Amino acid sequence: MNLPILSLITFTPLIGAIVVAVLPSRRPDLIRRTTLAFALLAWVMSLVLLAAYAFGPAGFRFNEAIDWIPAFGIQYRVGVDGLSVLMVVLTTTLTWISVLASFGPIEDRVKGYMISFLVLEVGMIGVFVALDLFLFYIFWEIVLVPMYLIIGIWGGANRVYATMKFVLYTLVGSLLMLVAILATAFAYQVGHGGSWVGAFDYVQLQQFAATGGFGDNFQILAFLALFLAFAIKVPMFPFHTWLPDAHTEAPTAGSVILAGVLLKLGAYGLIRFAVPLYPYAAHTFAWPIIVLSVIAIVYGAIVSIVQPDLKRLVAYSSVSHMGFVTLGIFVFSPTALQGAILQMINHGLITGGLFLLVGVIYERTHDRTIAKMGGLAATMPIWSTVFGFFILASAGLPGLSGFVGEFLVFVGSFGIAPGIAFASIIVMVLAATYLLWMFQRVAFGTLSDFLQGLGGHLTDMNRTEMATLIPLGVLIVVLGLFPSVVLDLLRAPAQAFLAAAGVAVGG
Amino acid sequence: MSWSDVGTIAPVVIAVLVAAAVLIVDMGAPGHREPIVVTALGGLGLVAVSILIQAGHTGSAFGGAYSLDNLTVFLDMLFVAIAALTIMFAGDYLEPRGLPIAEFSAVLIFAVTGAMLVAGSTDLLLLFVALELMVLPGYMLAGFARQDPYSTEGAIKYFLLGSFSSAILLFGLAYVWGITGTTRVDGVAAALTTAIAHGSIQPGLAMGLAFMSAGVAFKMAAVPFHYWTPDAYQGSPTPVTAYLSVGPKVGAFAIALRLFVGALGPLKADWLPVVIVLAAATMTLGNLVAITQDNVKRMLAYSSIAHTGYILVGLAAYAGGQASGLSAILFYGAAYTFMNMGAFAVVTALQRRPGVSSQIATFAGLGRRDPWLGALMALFLLSLTGIPPLAGFWAKAYVILAAVQAGGWLSALAVLAMINAAAAAFYYLRVVVYMYMREPAEEAAPSSPGLLFRAGLAVTGVATLIFGFFPALVTAATNAANVFHG
Repeated sequence: MNLPILSLITFTPLIGAIVVAVLPSRRPDLIRRTTLAFALLAWVMSLVLLAAYAFGPAGFRFNEAIDWIPAFGIQYRVGVDGLSVLMVVLTTTLTWISVLASFGPIEDRVKGYMISFLVLEVGMIGVFVALDLFLFYIFWEIVLVPMYLIIGIWGGANRVYATMKFVLYTLVGSLLMLVAILATAFAYQVGHGGSWVGAFDYVQLQQFAATGGFGDNFQILAFLALFLAFAIKVPMFPFHTWLPDAHTEAPTAGSVILAGVLLKLGAYGLIRFAVPLYPYAAHTFAWPIIVLSVIAIVYGAIVSIVQPDLKRLVAYSSVSHMGFVTLGIFVFSPTALQGAILQMINHGLITGGLFLLVGVIYERTHDRTIAKMGGLAATMPIWSTVFGFFILASAGLPGLSGFVGEFLVFVGSFGIAPGIAFASIIVMVLAATYLLWMFQRVAFGTLSDFLQGLGGHLTDMNRTEMATLIPLGVLIVVLGLFPSVVLDLLRAPAQAFLAAAGVAVGG
Repeated sequence: MSWSDVGTIAPVVIAVLVAAAVLIVDMGAPGHREPIVVTALGGLGLVAVSILIQAGHTGSAFGGAYSLDNLTVFLDMLFVAIAALTIMFAGDYLEPRGLPIAEFSAVLIFAVTGAMLVAGSTDLLLLFVALELMVLPGYMLAGFARQDPYSTEGAIKYFLLGSFSSAILLFGLAYVWGITGTTRVDGVAAALTTAIAHGSIQPGLAMGLAFMSAGVAFKMAAVPFHYWTPDAYQGSPTPVTAYLSVGPKVGAFAIALRLFVGALGPLKADWLPVVIVLAAATMTLGNLVAITQDNVKRMLAYSSIAHTGYILVGLAAYAGGQASGLSAILFYGAAYTFMNMGAFAVVTALQRRPGVSSQIATFAGLGRRDPWLGALMALFLLSLTGIPPLAGFWAKAYVILAAVQAGGWLSALAVLAMINAAAAAFYYLRVVVYMYMREPAEEAAPSSPGLLFRAGLAVTGVATLIFGFFPALVTAATNAANVFHG
């Protein structure tokens, strides 16, 4: 098959952005529908890609390579393995859902918003398919600008502060990553007699790393630079402080993408680049990172309990949930790694859904304070049921997907660090505490005075809102009951990861 | 002097004639804008053609005092582009303020003539004379708004410190001449190589090196010799600021290439530490002060200091053993020219109506008031920040790559440069915040600039994108222009 399917998926949203740009601003509905059409087109193509990949051999496939800057061996090189395919599908799924979820709430400057969203999608897909480090970096930075605009223009009252914080945190990490990428390519060039050919090619670099091409001290420095960039994005404790602000101020769809995909970029970077390229350094820092992960898991959960704002609570719970991901990566066990990747997907689906549900309430009340809520179960029964479903999924109810990911991380890390695994299992109790307590305060009891004051505005979810949540709910159930659908795709990438990390793979 | 000498310096000669022609045309039809602009731009087109005819050729004139090589061609083309863009942007600003476009264009073309002469100078004395020819018209341009006290103040500061630094540079040149016995660049390099081989480097050279470094650092606006920059930039009429931020800066780096790399290359181990310290101080201080500015012109002035620091990293990489550092300098200079002139052009467009300040509040709601102007400004600012895939990103990437290749202290300098770039995002994006995240001020009127102005904006915008998406096109030119490969 010679169809450049990856480029098609990556740049379909860009074509969409160009088309939207020439549509008249006076027709917001046309702009909305066109955007949705292109997002759906990219989604359908990504599903085709998923199917095509699943029924074929493992490894990097659908490769495309075009010389871009031959003097330095920089290429437009893309390709996917099971991990990338899943991330691409997650991205395209959440993007069209987010676009649909923006139909009602975004009324001002619709055109700019939709263009930003489509460009954002280009960057996100590009990060997951890029196999040239330089190209990866470029897509990584492309993600930044539209998100900066989405938070800064269409966000809440404190949006400018939040968006600047988001950009500055991310830039500090990513620019140091650029230095590390250039230094890595240069080390490869020196190791290959001064030839730049393949110096930015991930597969070549990884083979070079596997043969001990990068010195120990070099690995430490380069790993730290990459790790900082990715840890800020994940975000790991103590680099997480931009997240609650960004989430709280972002418009609903922005929060969905931020939690659903942008945080995954960091975890993906760790799995794809930081560990396989610098295995020595990854092992050197594994324990400190495991400790930071556990702190993030526990700290995120404890802080979530006391949050007065619905969105902030979900944001802090993200810190906790993403802690499982980094824990699963750095215990270097096949089970834990598959669990971590599954957790990435689950978190995208569940937290994305929670943000959408909070957005539904915010649309009607223009408030997110938990203390002002209460008794919604009677007034908005559908919303409350769906909210309860996502709450249980987030708390890790067996049978729903959230459980499987975290469970696999426990199992995988128990053999290596029982104490750590035990500490993080306690968090399941904490998660149930903050989530169910929040649900109780919002949904049960009598309708609060504040909500009574809104009267007829407090309608239940409409069809558009349900259309955004049903696909997520279905996926959560399917992945909860049949996680092997995803885990089968992840077996080969997990083994490749561990082989690259220098860990003997058993079972 | 022979006719072949004139042929070698033909672009410079034509440029002088164009400046004169502009004045003559103005005498014929005083106060008319169109004939002036047509003469100036048409003339500059002729100059560009004459430069391109020379492309690929090498030669020298006046017994080796002037050299024609790919570096000369590259820099000359850049200077011509700077002059043409400045003239395209200036009309809409000068006319409402009653300032004469003819004198402006003529003085500007004289300045660019000086810059072109700098680019080809391979003799210390010619280098100095050419430098003065480049900067003297610059002082006049800075004070071009005679009625405006700020313009006058900026011009006086620029003139005093500029003359002072020229004198310091000349003093340094005298040392080199005294010790090596020649003013020819290749002669100096040969004499120094011999002296190093014999281990007979004289202490006077250190003095000369110190004076020359200080003189050139003044011209580049490197910290701690940058104090004239903010006042001169803020006080000058905005199109002049656009020119000053790129023309004399690229000119100063042309001097650095001809003088430090060409003549003093053998001593590079000695001036490397100086350049490292200058680069580190320049980018850090420039950025830190830019963060606190509320006036966009002044902010861009400090940011231009910071960019000087990044360019100096390329020079340091050369001294650290990576000849590609010089290609990186040239790429940076060209990329910076287009994106920075573009940013100043947007400021100019907003200030078309006399009385509009360059305070950041002027930009409030620009994205809604004038979507195209806002989008272009955002493009230039993102490029200046270094967001890929725009011109400024590749400029930084090439400089950083050269520094990382050089290794050692230069890797640390590369890391510092990137931390600085992240800090710079704050003040660049702050303007974007005003443009897109604030409501427009009430009295702000739309600023529909003229056709020529729009064409200039389009050129800078397209260049920023082309540099970004097809950097290999530009690196082909910069690598060819890097005549110091070995």
